[in-house]
Amino acid sequence: MGKVIIDPLTRIEGHLRIDTRVEDGRVVEAWSKGEMFRGFEALLVGRDPLDAPPITQRICGVCPVSHTVASCKAVEAALGLKVPANGDYLRNLVLGANYLQSHILHFYQLSALDFVNVEALLGYEGRDPVLREVKAWAGGELASNKVLPVAPFLPKLPGDYPTDSSWNLGALAHYLEALEIRQEAHRMAAMFGGKMPHPAALIPGGVTCGVDAEAVEDFRMRLARVKRFVANVYLPDVLAAARLFPDYAQIGRGVPNFLAFGVFDEGESPWLPAGVLLDGKFEKLDTSKITETTAASFYDQNGPQHPTRGEIRPHAHKDGAYSWLKGPRYNGQPCEVGPLARILVALAADLAPVRSAVNDLLAESGLTVDALPSVLGRHAVRALETLLVAERMELWLDRLKPGEPSVASYVPRAQGQGEGLTEAPRGALGHWLSISGGKIERYQCVVPSTWNFSPRGDQGEPGPVEAALLGTPSHPDYQGLEMARVVRSFDPCIACAVH
Amino acid sequence: MKMDRRTFLKDAGLLVAALGLSPSWLPKAAEALEEMATGRAPILWLQGQSCSGCSVSLLNSESPGPADLVTRYLSLYFHQTLSAATGVAATEAMGRAMEAGNYILVAEGAVPLGMPDACRIADENFADLLTRAAKRAKAVVCVGACAAFGGIPAAPPNLTGAVSAGEALAKAGVKVPIINIPGCPPHPAWIVGNLVNVLKVGIPELDEFQRPKRTFGHLLHEQCPYFAQYQAQKFAKQPGEAGCLFKLGCQGVVTHADCSNRGWNGGVNWCIRARAVCIGCARPEFARDPEFAFYRLNEEAEKA
Repeated sequence: MGKVIIDPLTRIEGHLRIDTRVEDGRVVEAWSKGEMFRGFEALLVGRDPLDAPPITQRICGVCPVSHTVASCKAVEAALGLKVPANGDYLRNLVLGANYLQSHILHFYQLSALDFVNVEALLGYEGRDPVLREVKAWAGGELASNKVLPVAPFLPKLPGDYPTDSSWNLGALAHYLEALEIRQEAHRMAAMFGGKMPHPAALIPGGVTCGVDAEAVEDFRMRLARVKRFVANVYLPDVLAAARLFPDYAQIGRGVPNFLAFGVFDEGESPWLPAGVLLDGKFEKLDTSKITETTAASFYDQNGPQHPTRGEIRPHAHKDGAYSWLKGPRYNGQPCEVGPLARILVALAADLAPVRSAVNDLLAESGLTVDALPSVLGRHAVRALETLLVAERMELWLDRLKPGEPSVASYVPRAQGQGEGLTEAPRGALGHWLSISGGKIERYQCVVPSTWNFSPRGDQGEPGPVEAALLGTPSHPDYQGLEMARVVRSFDPCIACAVH
Repeated sequence: MKMDRRTFLKDAGLLVAALGLSPSWLPKAAEALEEMATGRAPILWLQGQSCSGCSVSLLNSESPGPADLVTRYLSLYFHQTLSAATGVAATEAMGRAMEAGNYILVAEGAVPLGMPDACRIADENFADLLTRAAKRAKAVVCVGACAAFGGIPAAPPNLTGAVSAGEALAKAGVKVPIINIPGCPPHPAWIVGNLVNVLKVGIPELDEFQRPKRTFGHLLHEQCPYFAQYQAQKFAKQPGEAGCLFKLGCQGVVTHADCSNRGWNGGVNWCIRARAVCIGCARPEFARDPEFAFYRLNEEAEKA
């Protein structure tokens, strides 16, 4: 049947196009194409180093906290600033709150509509007031002469949506509830971050807001509300989807390499550990092995380069190029990043609480460890991580010390180099900068979705999503629905990936 | 969804209060919300060189809340982040909306006029898509610093030749009312409140930058809780210190926005209350001058 193209691939952050070649009902070749470029790294050159966090956080409106943390850490490393303990825990709490909003948004608003039959609503006969109202709304819309009734829920791609009405209706009700819950998570992030998206209070040296006992308890109450939703609605919904779509435990496998930079600092080390799994073998993270290639990207660059030497020379009509994303590699290998990579690395590092939580998840879902690299596995692990983060946030709240400083005094330094590593909800995030004459001399970001949605590399090897699409079934009438499910399981953020 | 009059009046009351309008506006605001709810005023929302932060901010709307906003108030014909439609279904939805016309076009993100292929949607560059969509629109609401003024993508060296949506449309010769709602991101009430105004009352009174005067008519500084400390010259010299943040670089003195009496995220906080400087994200000049650092902590070192 030839080519199937999904353009634009919506319900993600940013501009992504997926091209595939299909033979005998399966994808045999795939190309991931980032379709937007702005040039953040170039515009940072010559600026004050303290401009880096507020500017780089604006790479992305979904995960601005992660860019802020990476940028602050890079500047702190370059300038020799030491963050007080309160600053670390406040950062963890703002970042954690944004994990909660991002993961919930990803499942309900961005992914769930691929697995739900929206029209089932019209047959609803029950008494749930929310569903009755939504049914009346949808019915009224369809009866009207509107150009696009029931938008943004319709139109959609045709496909194998479930007939189970309790699933369809429950998922739609939870879609609406999730909107309010992710908003609550953003209020939490704003309590210590100033506002969301684009939090102002996280600066090099710590967090400006200080620790106020009243705010801590207010935050704790809101966290309990979000955590209740995660434990009682989000996680069960993901498990229900796993039962309805068992084939997707075998679809979307990807590359056998996983990378995590470590995240949520607790004293000297992060709570979720850094590490690399290359073809099943665990090794310590060594960031000198990271390069970015532009083999199939719209940039000129002198071969693969470490981020401290990366260049930004856009070339929109470069021969052989097809994406605005660069191609990050670890030791020359494409790697998957994200919740799945974080959890697999934590298992390899033998983090006991994670191990027991994963075992419970496997028992409940019927998934095996081998099936985790899959569409269902990624959704399930992301939901599990949401709960683990929410639980850990309670500990960070307990460790805050009201009255003690949360930000270091600033001491200027004219020269320096820094690496700032953290994890965005979507995976490993690194910022690299050098400062000369008190100004930013170079700046490079290597971003989670750049890893996952990387185009071909120097050997022609596909990136992780390009690999994960191989073998995906493609029904001739579904116009790419199955592939969209695979792509969305990676939680693409293309404004991040290109920047 | 059928909503009763009381619900509209309640939401309208909150909105009128939030916008600082007189109570005489209440019936008109309720009517506008009802019109949004009954779908007589559809919205086509297009993203260019954006970070989706404005869309995320929209979902933080407090009253109407996000669920009501999506199902009752906004008839989102197409929205890249929220629409179920993907691929072929998405281009069809956009096509049908444009064929019908008469919507409000919301533009989010800058337009890379100098390098049109730096933003493409369905095999078309964003500048062309925006132009096509604007020709069929009643009005174009440019949300966020990037769509309103170019924002960060337009900061030097501006590799893609990024410009605001208004400038791109002017260059394409499209004559359509433009309303700029700056901010990085804009407060959700700035977006929702001004959409209501466009729908019901008409284009709000705009200033020289095409910003609604009622949202951007006052300096943040005028109603800042630290105004008294500014007058008494009690200034913080280091992050985390007490006092007005002016000497650290706070741009509240030159930024027209109502953050100081509105608060963000349901009023739980805002930048200055969190003891961070205002970086002037609602200013037309936001982030454009590399010499104008957000924090002034390195100035002493430069002088030395």
